[in-house]
Amino acid sequence: MKNVTDSFVSLGHWPSAGSFGVNTDILATNPINLSVVLGVLIFFGKGVLSDLLDNRKERILNTIRNSEELRGGAIERLEKARARLRKVEMEADQFRVNGYSEIEREKLNLINSTYKILEQLENYKNETIYFEQQRAINQVRQRVFQQALQGALGTLNSSLNNELHLRTISANIGLFGVMKEITD
Amino acid sequence: MNGISNALNGLYDISGVEVGQHFYWQIAGFQVHAQVLITSWVVIAILLGSAVIAVRNPQTIPTAGQNFFEYVLEFIRDVSKTQIGEEYGPWVPFIGTMFLFIFVSNWSGALLPWKIIQLPHGELAAPTNDINTTVALALLTSVAYFYAGLSKKGLGYFSKYIQPTPILLPINILEDFTKPLSLSFRLFGNILADELVVVVLVSLVPLVVPIPVMFLGLFTSGIEALIFATLAAAYIGESMEGHH
Repeated sequence: MKNVTDSFVSLGHWPSAGSFGVNTDILATNPINLSVVLGVLIFFGKGVLSDLLDNRKERILNTIRNSEELRGGAIERLEKARARLRKVEMEADQFRVNGYSEIEREKLNLINSTYKILEQLENYKNETIYFEQQRAINQVRQRVFQQALQGALGTLNSSLNNELHLRTISANIGLFGVMKEITD
Repeated sequence: MNGISNALNGLYDISGVEVGQHFYWQIAGFQVHAQVLITSWVVIAILLGSAVIAVRNPQTIPTAGQNFFEYVLEFIRDVSKTQIGEEYGPWVPFIGTMFLFIFVSNWSGALLPWKIIQLPHGELAAPTNDINTTVALALLTSVAYFYAGLSKKGLGYFSKYIQPTPILLPINILEDFTKPLSLSFRLFGNILADELVVVVLVSLVPLVVPIPVMFLGLFTSGIEALIFATLAAAYIGESMEGHH
């Protein structure tokens, strides 16, 4: 390879080559065409590219906004749920507390009413006993009275005769005579 | 002898198309093509510089440059994902480098006014118009897909040579040679040919006629970069698949 290069160099001097430099031949370096191509490329490419990139940016913005909204919504719902939970807990506590006192009260009420009913029954019992007693006593009295009256009646019937009647009348006359003497 | 050299001088004066004559440097006993190195350095500087500038100060809502680079990255990721499949993550930098290097070098060769700078021998143009560059890229791709297959399947990777039937073994082995060959020659041929057509047209009709060919050149060189990157990703995906 090096031999080939050497032989090329020895063949002739290359007038435009041999050192670094700037080529000022416009027709060879092609700047006109290049600038036309670049211009058209940038002109059309800018539109397409900025469309693409704007779409992408829009998509990113939308995604971010959506997720922010969803997040906000989720946080709101969480807060609401928490508040509801707290309220329900408080109500449950209250119910529990109230419930217990209610139970106590109901218990007391029940006890009181039962007590009252017991008392009433007791009273009835006492009254009934008293009345029965009274009735028994009345019955006994009646019987005794009856017996006494019957005895008296028997005695009277057995001892009531003419003699007694004559004696009684003469006694009464004597009494009337005494009374008349006193009033005179 | 003098007359012949004078005539040759005259000839060289007329035809300014120097094909095949390269600018050589001697580095450590090797002869390197300096013009390719210089233009490669320029391409690398463009890529690295623009990347560094665009990635400064990243925002959630991207600014124009950041948006553009993110778009390019999404595009490359999409290509890798389509070709490689699920484990495309580690290969995105490789595919991205291939695509961006080839794309920027092709387009810089077509758009930047390289001919203003004159070298002692040879001329500056796209670095991919040298077969050495494209062969290097193709060999890198070969190494990459071998590495992908071996690191995923171990020595079981070589069982793919006898899929689906062992009769196809010579064809499968041949494929390992034709893949880098076709990659390199496709890219080299396209870029060099377009460059030559433009140069010839410019030397014939300098003003308006080369313009459509230059547009065609831009289009095909962009497509070539995409094809190279897609094929590289496809080879990598193909060597990583089929492990079910």
